[in-house]
Amino acid sequence: MPATETDALVARLIGQLERRRASGEGVTAAEAAAAAADRMMAWGAGRAVVPDDPWLVELGVPAALAASGVEVLTWPPTLSPRELLGLDGAPATCGVTVPAAAVAERGTLVLESGPGHGRALDVLGPFHLALLRASRVVDTLAEALAPRFRGRRPPSAVSLVSGPSRTSDIEKISTLGAHGALSEHVLIVVDA
Amino acid sequence: MRLRVRRTSGGTAPPPRVAYPETEALRERAREALQDDQLRGNLRAAAGSWAKGQAAVRERYPFAEMRAEARRIRTEDIRRLPELLDLLEERVRAAGGTVVRVADGEAACRYVVELARRRGARLLAKSKSMATEEIKLNEALEEAGLRVVETDLGEWILQLRGDHPSHIIAPAVHLNRDQIADLFRRHSGEEIPNDREALIAYARRRLREDFAAADIGVSGVNLAVAETGTLCVMENEGNVRLVTALPPVHVALLGMERVVADWEEAALFLELLPMAAINDDAATYVSLITGTRAPDEAGDGPTELHLVILDGGRSALRGTPFEEALHCIRCGACLYSCPMWRSVGGQAYGSPYSGPIGAVITPLLEGMRGERSSELPFFSSLCGACHQACPVGIPLHDLLVRARAAVDTPASRRARLAFRAWSILWRWPPTYRASVALARIGLAVMGRRGWVRRLPGPGAAWTDQRDLPSRWPPHP
Repeated sequence: MPATETDALVARLIGQLERRRASGEGVTAAEAAAAAADRMMAWGAGRAVVPDDPWLVELGVPAALAASGVEVLTWPPTLSPRELLGLDGAPATCGVTVPAAAVAERGTLVLESGPGHGRALDVLGPFHLALLRASRVVDTLAEALAPRFRGRRPPSAVSLVSGPSRTSDIEKISTLGAHGALSEHVLIVVDA
Repeated sequence: MRLRVRRTSGGTAPPPRVAYPETEALRERAREALQDDQLRGNLRAAAGSWAKGQAAVRERYPFAEMRAEARRIRTEDIRRLPELLDLLEERVRAAGGTVVRVADGEAACRYVVELARRRGARLLAKSKSMATEEIKLNEALEEAGLRVVETDLGEWILQLRGDHPSHIIAPAVHLNRDQIADLFRRHSGEEIPNDREALIAYARRRLREDFAAADIGVSGVNLAVAETGTLCVMENEGNVRLVTALPPVHVALLGMERVVADWEEAALFLELLPMAAINDDAATYVSLITGTRAPDEAGDGPTELHLVILDGGRSALRGTPFEEALHCIRCGACLYSCPMWRSVGGQAYGSPYSGPIGAVITPLLEGMRGERSSELPFFSSLCGACHQACPVGIPLHDLLVRARAAVDTPASRRARLAFRAWSILWRWPPTYRASVALARIGLAVMGRRGWVRRLPGPGAAWTDQRDLPSRWPPHP
């Protein structure tokens, strides 16, 4: 895909993420680790649960987080469900994800479960940080689903995530932070 | 007594009538609801905000084309439902899931209770599911000595209150913030301020205990994709994600009609459902679940998936004049749009499904036997707003009329006789003129300051809620 077309999709995605009360920014591969650490500091996250993904290591994300004092746990973590969910005085957790795709038109991330990528990563704690390859951004939901699953069994859990957790169950006013993440930020690695 | 309706290809022949009991229960509940000013205020606010958002969403997207396409797909998929269900079952099994088809709610509940017993489960965490309300799963589990916790905020509020949902999507829409704060204070013994953030934070903290401890997660299914055996569950809160990720066993209850053939079709409904239900183009979370945790996956994900496919009176509707009721995707748009629902709320209907679709589907799923069957089809003004609101274009007003035609009670027989007499009377000008003259005299005699407040005999039902002008044209 020509670079300008990808740029347009990324710009559209960032706009839609903002509409869905998440946020996103384009970064280069060289900037990604520092940007991840900055975001974690801004949130005040004390713990990060990161996927076991060689690309993240290549970007230097786990090392940068650890260097800035964040406790880094690689999936699968050896924690009880209570600790994972932030009970028993656990530090505020940020779930890190590597989306398999993203839908520009809707601000939606497509998360696939796998050996190193837990299905609940993004809903464990109050923060969700995604590192997304710009080349994985598509325009519509139909493009993100049908071609992906044609002729193969989908991963056991695919999660479409469109912004932070919210509820309208009290007086029909949409309020953030029900059971999943209260804040979501997407680092879109433009040269990946 | 079973509903016996002739199977027709065109699907328009009127069904024969069925006799069933006559009650006043619905009228009583509606009367009570009408006197509850707080309830009416809450409902008016909710329906008003939905209508505003719906107008905006319809302007932003090609809603009419999406609706037409959705209707085409639902019609086709319900026609080939048996084939799609077989494919779905095969694919779910291939992905490590267990599939069980049950004829009714009782069998579904029995399966879940027995499974819980076999696994030694004590706590089940549940996400919102109208099908589980339909089969009264919670009651069955509690009767068996099991603890079940609703984890959707609205449903949890209702569970704490011992209340039932008043709306398909927004179950606690009949309550306001102060009522919820009072409830949480009583539940916790803590001082909780009545702002939304504090109330939600309290629920988040309490329910995390249950997500962590649950032995079995129970969810509904918004849509099953036959081609890959994938279950789609949509939500905004994140509780479905946790319910289907953390407990070692996941039980999913699927109403048998909620199947689409492939991912092209699924993509449309994943957008259309939230557009109609919550005026948004996406649900915050959609869980697409295909079988159990893979052998190489660790850390979370259930090792057992049980897909319970519920018939519950659905298959009997295929090929009948009521088949389109199976097209429903349970978005709740027809509820908000309905002047009856907006006035009395969901509880008055006395069934988990309320509003126009509830008035249609409840009697049908009960085989037109229950005492609700003789009342619900008449609980509508037939204004057709529900049809306009429906994202899959179900002609709900037509279905209501067809359901009415199927009702046979002493009162309905009297009414039919009266209408027949009226029709004969007005067929000829002399009898027409005579009856109108008589009515004019009657109204003038009964009128007080230009209005008749109460008619005698069968007319009393009409003037129960309305006045009639005593002369024509009436006073300005």
